[in-house]
Amino acid sequence: MDTTQLLKGVLDLAVLAVVSDEDGYGYDVVRRLRAAGIEEVGDASVYGTLRRLYSSGALTSYVVPSDEGPHRKYYGINAQGRAMLEAQRKDWQEFAGTMGRLLKTEVVR
Amino acid sequence: MSVLDTTDALDVAGYAAAVRRGLADLGPEQVDDLTDDLEADLAEALDDERHVAHGRGVLEQFGPPEDYAAELRAAAGLAPATAPGRRVRLSDPVDDSRRFGRWVLRRLRALTWWAPVEAFLVALRPVWWLLRGWVAYQLVAMMAGVSGWLPRNLAALLVLVGCVVLSVQWGRGAWFQSRRVAWVALTANAVAVVAVLPLLGSVQDQLDDRDRIYDAYQAGNLGGFDTQTIIQDKAVDGVVVDGIQVSNLFVYDADGNPLTDVQVYDDRGRPVRTTFDNGFDQYWFPEATEPWSFVSRVDSDNRARWNVYPLQGAPTSEFTYDDEGLQVLPAGSSAATPPWPFAKAPALDDPPEAAIGADGPAPSPSPTSTP
Repeated sequence: MDTTQLLKGVLDLAVLAVVSDEDGYGYDVVRRLRAAGIEEVGDASVYGTLRRLYSSGALTSYVVPSDEGPHRKYYGINAQGRAMLEAQRKDWQEFAGTMGRLLKTEVVR
Repeated sequence: MSVLDTTDALDVAGYAAAVRRGLADLGPEQVDDLTDDLEADLAEALDDERHVAHGRGVLEQFGPPEDYAAELRAAAGLAPATAPGRRVRLSDPVDDSRRFGRWVLRRLRALTWWAPVEAFLVALRPVWWLLRGWVAYQLVAMMAGVSGWLPRNLAALLVLVGCVVLSVQWGRGAWFQSRRVAWVALTANAVAVVAVLPLLGSVQDQLDDRDRIYDAYQAGNLGGFDTQTIIQDKAVDGVVVDGIQVSNLFVYDADGNPLTDVQVYDDRGRPVRTTFDNGFDQYWFPEATEPWSFVSRVDSDNRARWNVYPLQGAPTSEFTYDDEGLQVLPAGSSAATPPWPFAKAPALDDPPEAAIGADGPAPSPSPTSTP
C-alpha cells in the first residue's frame, strides 16, 4: 500500500508533533520527519503544511538571522496548535486502535 | 555550511524561480509567503543529498518545478492553478485591492496605538450598517425622484426599512454569505462607501434651498427674486432712488415744464452728483439703442460742473480721445440732453411752496410723483 496516501491525512498531525518538540524551519522539519521514519513525504508538502498551519493560527513564526547562511523562518507551536495536536492525537490513537483491532481480527480469522 | 558549488547554486535559483512562476497566479504576496526560504531549503536538501553521496541534480532530487509548485500549493490548502496553459493571470483589481487592504491592516496592527483604535472602529460598525441602509434608500429614492432625509410616505418608509434590514443582516453575517451572491453585497457596499459623502452633501443642499425658500416666504417676497433690494452697509455716493443708483436727474418747474441747466446742491452747499467717472462710463437709458456718455458744464471760473441737470452728453460712439487721453466730443458734434422721461410733469396748485421743495436735501428726479 502506498504510504503517501495514508500520510496525506495525518501530515498535519506529524508536522505539529515535530514542531511541538522544538521550533524549526522548513527543511529542518522535513529532516526530522525523515529521521522519524516518514520518508515518503515531499519537501513541498511539508512547507505548504507549515504555511497553512501558520495561516490558520496553530503556529507562530519568527525569523532567525544567521551569520553563515540566509536568514531562516522558524515555526513554533502555540496554544491553539497544542490544542489541535491533542485533539488529533486522540483521534489518531482511537482510529489506530480501531484499525489495529480490526486488522487483528482479520488476521486471527 | 553549504557545500554547493556555483552550478548548483544557479540551479537552485533557477528552480526556485520556476516554482515561483508556477505560483504566479496567487499574487506576489502569497508567493513570497509560500517561498520565503525556498532557496535555502532547496540548497540544504541538496546538501544533505550530497552527504548521502547520490550526487543527484536539482531536477532529479525535487522533480519538475511545476509539480513542486502544485504540491506546495495543495499542501498550503490553496486552489490549484486555474489555467494550465496560461499560468500568469492578469491581476484582478478586486483581489489586488483586497490584498492591499490586508497588507495595510497587517501594518497597522503592528503599531501599538492601533489596537484600541480598531476596537473603537469595530464598535462603530453597526452605525455604518445603518448609514449604508440609508444610503441605499437615498439612491433608490433619487431614482424615484423623491428627496429629503427621511421618507414621507408609507412606500418610501418600507423601502428604507427594507434597505436597513438588508444592510444590517449582511453586516451581521446573517445573509448574502454564499459565494454566488456575495459579490452583489460587496458591490453595494462599495457603492455606498463612494456615495455616502456626496449624498449627505446633496441632501443638505436640498434642505438649505428649502430653508431659503421658506425664509423668503416668511419675509413675504416669495416669487420676488427678480426685484432685489440691495442693502449696502457702506454709503453709496450719488443719488439712489428705490435702491437703484440714478445716472441723471430731470427737473420740472411748478407748472410742470422741463427745466435745463439746473444746479443742484445739498443742504451744506456740496454739489449733488450722480456720476463720478468724469465722462468715462457708459449709461443706458430705457429703450436706448446705444449707451451714452456725459459731459460736464463749465462754470464762469472755468471749473467743470457735474451737478448741472439734466446732464448732457452724446452716444459713446461719437466721442474721441484728446491728447491727454480724455474722452471728448469732437469739434463737429455737440452735447445734447438725453431723452426726457416725459415732456411735462403735472403742475402744482401752489407754485411758491413747490419752488422751495424742489431743491430739497434728498434730491429726487421730481418733487412730484415719478413712474
